[in-house]
Amino acid sequence: MDRFRFCGDLDCPDWVLAEMSTLARMSSVKMKLLCVQVIKDLLDEGIDYDKVSKLTSDAKFESGDIKASIAVLSFILSSAAKHDVDSDSLSSELQQLGLPKEHTTGLCKSYEDKHSALQEKLREISLRLGRLEAVNWRVDYTLSSSELKQVNEPTVQLKLQAQDPETDSTQTTVVSITADKFRVLLTELKQAQTMMNALQ
Amino acid sequence: MLLVLSEEHKEHLGFLSEVDPAVVGESGRIAVEFLKKGSNPKIYEGAPRKLNVWSGSVQHGLEGLMYLLTESCKLTISEEDFQDSVLVLGFSEELTELLLQLYLENRKEIRQILSKLAPSLPHYHSLEWRLDVQLSSRPLRHQLKPTVTLKLHLEDGARRSARVLQTDPPRCSISLTSWSERSQSSRAATAAASSTTSNRSTPLYDTTAVHSGSDLFA
Repeated sequence: MDRFRFCGDLDCPDWVLAEMSTLARMSSVKMKLLCVQVIKDLLDEGIDYDKVSKLTSDAKFESGDIKASIAVLSFILSSAAKHDVDSDSLSSELQQLGLPKEHTTGLCKSYEDKHSALQEKLREISLRLGRLEAVNWRVDYTLSSSELKQVNEPTVQLKLQAQDPETDSTQTTVVSITADKFRVLLTELKQAQTMMNALQ
Repeated sequence: MLLVLSEEHKEHLGFLSEVDPAVVGESGRIAVEFLKKGSNPKIYEGAPRKLNVWSGSVQHGLEGLMYLLTESCKLTISEEDFQDSVLVLGFSEELTELLLQLYLENRKEIRQILSKLAPSLPHYHSLEWRLDVQLSSRPLRHQLKPTVTLKLHLEDGARRSARVLQTDPPRCSISLTSWSERSQSSRAATAAASSTTSNRSTPLYDTTAVHSGSDLFA
């Protein structure tokens, strides 16, 4: 079995090969429109299942066929984007797998149009732990306390809302920081910022 | 292998000989429904009134019938053994035959239900990973420390959970090699094993080779 770039230089999965004939049952025009719907689904823009059934009705697809064609198109498009495959290589590899030329051309055109958007989406959903969702702050001035009559000290309160790495739920942490500690925090963060800017 | 029925059990099942065969058939159907979907207490209210019996005896009769079925299915007793076990209840031939048919028709399905009651471990659902290089931290600049972060998604019935793990690439590649070797032998073993064994893949990840994300935010 040949290695395929769009499969990450691995063998093409058997099920993908098997579904090439399913895709070929549709007209190439309708298959390109189906690609558009699949790409919308991959970009979280919502897939229009009514349109999908209309597109597949000529080829008399049963529900199993519809699911299979969406699955195989999703796989091809997201895997090609994942491995940053160029449109020409994808075209030649799909034809090697037996997808007719007109179908391949349509698919690769859609892929090329949305290539960057797909990669951006995949970048977005890449594993991130403890994503910071919101930061709120407040500056207080303590006048007095039960321990000391004249305190006269400013403090910063930071409210951090972050995603718990394992449960994905939002966790809120509130910290209060004295002026000195805050100065240190700010300096350190500015150093980190300089480093981040240098990398971008 | 014969079923040994306790005196209490025999007493409960005695209810079945006091009613019409049609009622026994209906009770059998209800008992199997209860086994599939859980018991419905409403039956215990309506039926006794219709049959003019004490409501306790309907409940006991149904529960006795369910227990008879689950025990017979658990041990997969043969037709003859089932008939011999039920003989002690002194039922008519017609009734015994009814019960036997009930057992034989529902045996496979009840065994399937029973197989799901065994305790199970959470099993693998999916794996997300990320490769990072640590360049700097507060105490130390100019580093080049690669790390692999993994989020293992597990499933236990309806419950999903996730474990976050972190390791460095050399250890990760050793683990992956040993995992893929074990996965090969596990697949061979599963293919050779009988069809009644569970098909779920348990996480074969060698967790001694990874440490959890304590240095996640170094």
